[in-house]
Amino acid sequence: MPHARDHRVVGLKRIAGGSSRETYAFDLEWSEAGQPRTRAMIGRRDPTGGLLKTSREREFKVISAVHRAGLKVPEPLFLELDGSVMDRPFFIMDRAPGRTGMGAFAATEPESTRAKVADDFLSELARLQSLDYREYGLEILGVPKNPEDPARIQTAHWHEVYERDRMGEHHPILSAAFAWLKANPVVTDRVVIVHGDYRSGNYLYDDNGIIAMLDWEMAHLGDPMEDLGWASMTFWGRNELAGGLMEREAFYRLYEQKTGHRVDRERLFFYRVLGDAKMVVICLTGIRDFVEGRTSDSMMPFLELLIPQLFEDLANLLRLV
Amino acid sequence: MQRTIMEALLPELTSPYAQGQAMSTIIMLGHAASALESAPAYDAAEIKDLRATFAALKRLGDKHISKKSGLRGALARAIRAGAKNPPDRRAIEAEMATFAAAVALGNADDGVARQVRGYIRRNLERTRKLFVNSLPTL
Repeated sequence: MPHARDHRVVGLKRIAGGSSRETYAFDLEWSEAGQPRTRAMIGRRDPTGGLLKTSREREFKVISAVHRAGLKVPEPLFLELDGSVMDRPFFIMDRAPGRTGMGAFAATEPESTRAKVADDFLSELARLQSLDYREYGLEILGVPKNPEDPARIQTAHWHEVYERDRMGEHHPILSAAFAWLKANPVVTDRVVIVHGDYRSGNYLYDDNGIIAMLDWEMAHLGDPMEDLGWASMTFWGRNELAGGLMEREAFYRLYEQKTGHRVDRERLFFYRVLGDAKMVVICLTGIRDFVEGRTSDSMMPFLELLIPQLFEDLANLLRLV
Repeated sequence: MQRTIMEALLPELTSPYAQGQAMSTIIMLGHAASALESAPAYDAAEIKDLRATFAALKRLGDKHISKKSGLRGALARAIRAGAKNPPDRRAIEAEMATFAAAVALGNADDGVARQVRGYIRRNLERTRKLFVNSLPTL
């Protein structure tokens, strides 16, 4: 903003959501060519601890790329990696309007809204998966060398985080899940940009559908079935509704229509198991950071209450009950 | 403490973020208070069930537990950990993880799988009760 003068941050307040970052809403006021201007913005600052250990720069580059590609995301504006400015790195992006939820799409919303959001949800996923990551400079996310790599890399990563954050506890169901994932790696048919947390609860919407997909910090290159498997996990849904949006089989059929690619059931199953295991591990990380004093966010110990449901889902998928 | 947060603190908070933090603190205090009462019984039931399950697995005999699968070693370690005073729960659970992995991978005999699945079913049921019972009524 080289021609802007007299910047003023107005109404700064911390908001919930995006638990892996401290998130602040504010309005920026300034003058430009003698005219007063204002814009609603969001600041995302590195936490002292929390759910994920991911790179701010990487997240900013991914949002910038998908915004350039025309996907529905908030416009990224500024990235500051120098921790001396606001204690920790942060970035600023446009504040999109709309409402959101914690998980499954709210059953109280009108049917017409649900249908539009469900359609947009899969349209945006199809658009994301159709992008050529090279064209957008996203090789920085790490290009898998072999078709087996996406499954192996994700399994190894989350298993490593489990070993790091389990605080001496052994969780038989989770250990069994990682043993199964290691023994049954799937082979992808193509490499796409994976959002990494593509689900209900991570978008802003209104009565006309989705306005913006949020929380890109786990983005990487991988198997298209990974986001589909994650989005349709029982955990994010309600009864048989994937994400609370649509009956699961209809959801997969619509995905096939939107992408022109068939849903590979074997790979989908693998990524549903990985998804449940990953979510338990994310909870364990949050709990550990709270217990060890790296975060005071009271949502972190609350995560313990989510784990039993995930264990049940894993036990059902792996026929452990 | 929950009442203090609810009645004295919450009305003074204007930020939705701070209100959310206060609410989740209330929930966690409720969970913690309940866990103080119910966790010892839960832990005792877990250890008892783990020891009983491994005793049942031992009774199945060697022909059901192949040496190659690594389960015989896990069984011996679990029995030893269960015989300690007090029993080493983490060590027993580590061996149960080995058995659960064998079941998930299809490397366990039917009799072994039945015992392991029985334990996991009971464990999930106990955990469900523990957590449901500890959710606070506001």
